[in-house]
Amino acid sequence: MSREDNKIVAFCCQHSAYQVANKAGRMRLHYPDNVRIIRVPCAGRVDVQHILKAFEKGVVGVLVMGCQEGACQHLTGNTRAKKRVKYTEDLLKEVGIDGGRVKMVNLAPDMAQRFVGEIKEMAEKIEGR
Amino acid sequence: MIIAERKPLEEIKNMLAGYKKILVVGCGTCTTICWAGGEKEVGVLSSQLKLASSGEGNELSIVEATVERQCEKEMVIEELRDKVEEVEAILSMGCGVGAQTIAEIFEEKPVFPAVNTTFMGMPEKEGAWVEMCGACGDCFLDRMGGICPVVRCAKGLLNGPCGGTRKGGKCEIDPEKECAWVLIYQRLEKQDRLDLMRKYYEPKNYGAVQRPGRVEAATA
Amino acid sequence: MEVRARLGIFLCDCGKSLNNIDFSKVKERAEKFQDVVYVGLSSCLCLKEGLEEMLSVVRQERINRVVIAACSPELKENVFRKALEEAGLNYNCLSIANIREQCSWAHEADVTDKALELIRMAANKARLLQPVERKDTPVNTEVLVVGGGFSGMKSALELSELGLRVTLMEREPVLGGKLGEFEGFYGFETTPKEILSSVREAIEGNKNIGVLTSAEIIRVEGEAGNFTVSIRRGEEKVSRSFGAIIFATGYTTEILPQDFELKPDVNIISQRKLVEMLEAPAGLEQRPGTIGFVLDVSDENSRLPFLSTLNNALAVKEKLGSEVYVFCKNLKVDSEGMERLYREARERGVVFLKFEEKPRISKEDGRVKVEARDVLRGEEVVLLCDFLVAEEKVLPPEGTQTLSSMLNIGTDSRGFYQDENVYLYPVASERRGVFFVGGCRGDSDLARASTDISSAVTSFIRLLSPRDVMVEVKPQKCRACLTCIRVCPHSAVKLVRVETGEEVAKISGVACDRCGICTAICPAKAIRFEGYADEQILAEIEAIGESL
Repeated sequence: MSREDNKIVAFCCQHSAYQVANKAGRMRLHYPDNVRIIRVPCAGRVDVQHILKAFEKGVVGVLVMGCQEGACQHLTGNTRAKKRVKYTEDLLKEVGIDGGRVKMVNLAPDMAQRFVGEIKEMAEKIEGR
Repeated sequence: MIIAERKPLEEIKNMLAGYKKILVVGCGTCTTICWAGGEKEVGVLSSQLKLASSGEGNELSIVEATVERQCEKEMVIEELRDKVEEVEAILSMGCGVGAQTIAEIFEEKPVFPAVNTTFMGMPEKEGAWVEMCGACGDCFLDRMGGICPVVRCAKGLLNGPCGGTRKGGKCEIDPEKECAWVLIYQRLEKQDRLDLMRKYYEPKNYGAVQRPGRVEAATA
Repeated sequence: MEVRARLGIFLCDCGKSLNNIDFSKVKERAEKFQDVVYVGLSSCLCLKEGLEEMLSVVRQERINRVVIAACSPELKENVFRKALEEAGLNYNCLSIANIREQCSWAHEADVTDKALELIRMAANKARLLQPVERKDTPVNTEVLVVGGGFSGMKSALELSELGLRVTLMEREPVLGGKLGEFEGFYGFETTPKEILSSVREAIEGNKNIGVLTSAEIIRVEGEAGNFTVSIRRGEEKVSRSFGAIIFATGYTTEILPQDFELKPDVNIISQRKLVEMLEAPAGLEQRPGTIGFVLDVSDENSRLPFLSTLNNALAVKEKLGSEVYVFCKNLKVDSEGMERLYREARERGVVFLKFEEKPRISKEDGRVKVEARDVLRGEEVVLLCDFLVAEEKVLPPEGTQTLSSMLNIGTDSRGFYQDENVYLYPVASERRGVFFVGGCRGDSDLARASTDISSAVTSFIRLLSPRDVMVEVKPQKCRACLTCIRVCPHSAVKLVRVETGEEVAKISGVACDRCGICTAICPAKAIRFEGYADEQILAEIEAIGESL
């Protein structure tokens, strides 16, 4: 895959973010089509390696999307994901990939507009990189 | 348990300058348990190195492996024997002992340490470890209520607190840390052995273990 | 897998409605994917026709891994899985690509390429899926109910009606709880005392319920289906095994001296003291002419104090005929029958006064003086009363924090069970098999407690069905570093000794809630989560950007 492909991977937790993405689809809220959603049982399942491998593969932006703070079905999944995203951000800076290309997003199941906004923001950020 | 921390990537990259094909080796024991150099961290570091090198235009070729215990010659040989032939250098994510063991076995290959071995410690909670023992070779925990002031007191004092203890029993030097002597006092109080606080202890003999140390069991 | 994968890709155009996907192009390209033996298109895959067709193709082509490209997985997953089982496949051999909500509907232009890539991602994952066993772990069906108040007793009765054995334990020497402290419920025909004695009788006569009074929990170990609870009764210690634990430990109330400048004394009393007075009105030296109630000073959120106040105010009117004034910030009538109670109280002459600033309470001539600004009339009010019933804050009972650390379960910001997490409502805790009902969840009343109990009983029954083993520790890779045990939010992992003599972590199939937190954090990569294993997630990523 060349960088021109500009693909974004969004790891979406099945309880909130994945449902939000579905809601956006049902509401026909259109967003850039270069995003690939990977469903996970909890944001806490996403590990640093998964994100790095995505960048290795040529993906240029990664979103980790989980439940709102305090509302994780598994209590600590989203906080652990947040820490890992921050760590990965630092690891990516070490190799010259910076500018907010990995981001943690917290969503409640009805936040379809917000979901679309985050995708659009990441898509804009990675344009022309 | 031995605790280590990964070196900054910049330092590691400098060590690897000029090498095109390397082996990154993790250790399945101490550095796995302290999240510094296990199979996971080998994967993360390899990803980083690949991303860094491809960004610079010359992609590094990396072979990944993990030895169950890097300080055991037999395990190192078993796991790495076939893998070292094709590489130019070895990046060890085991502690200093492990890295040196690998270096001894595969003498022709340069071995680089990817982690800094920092101390012997215990887990405070998942992902956090605190130093407990300095391997002074002359343990006197019996007199200190089971708390070692050599390592856990920032100044290594043997005879009570320095007088700079902060409010709440915190250390003068690092307010995030507990004053070890306050802890020792409280512990001895619980055991009704406060008389030990009144004893004077001579400066420690740091030469108790002749370095480099060697121990051979009587029944070996 | 030992056998080579034979992938079948089943496309659905959802009644020919996904018009921005060129399905013939998708079919043509997908046929070229590795290991694919069949690609077919349906317009109604989830309907009888579509399912039957899929079944016969799977059998005919000897397909062993299925990819379905259709609507969002959770909609028809169960239907598809059942169909696969009928075709002789393990239900876990299915990977679904969401080409509708997250593809066709999400974008305006042609999305054929994206659909293809999503299908490739699903195919990569499907190749690595492994069959999953459904384990029938023997579960103990006896339930421990902790707390012998109304909620506890009712829980025990409901469970026993289903034929289950129950042990009901209570800290005090007698069952009853708070029920005995209420004077009357004006919404109900029967009095609390009558309810109490009939429930007690039902329990005593019930062979399925064993009662342990003067008993306390010392330790709780194990998981749903198999809890081991150590109980102390006086000098005796017993260890018992239970399938689930229902906590009905109730609440307590207290007048907080810091909120009322005067300490409770002869004239400033609690609701309970008032109830005692009402039970023996003849014992009073003289009939009180005026009784005041002050609420919403310590706690603006609980409705229980208001419920008590309405009940007791009406009782005062009936038995003592005194004048009654209630000072409060809000009328909290959001429970069954409370609106009616309030109106009745008004009709009987109880006066309700709304304040914004805290009333000033002092003593004058042996009576209690209450000064407040009545917001609705815009006037200062001064009331001299013979008794002032001070608000009691509803609090978790003593021992709650100890119990919660013993169980490794969180409490909310006020100290009540359960953790303020919407997924746990109404009665679950983060540990499967442990439930909370009634007053111990904070603000509650009889109606809500009854709903709690039904919820808990139903949840327990659901627990008893067999579960699939999805998350497992590979013993040979486990370093016993205890990380998974420490981080599991559901307390589902423990250390066990295996045949080789080593200690390794083991995940309880019953207690595991399939979050994958342990899988991600295991430093030795010793945990495998089937369906979301590292290699399966990475295989999905691998498909991105591959030429189509």
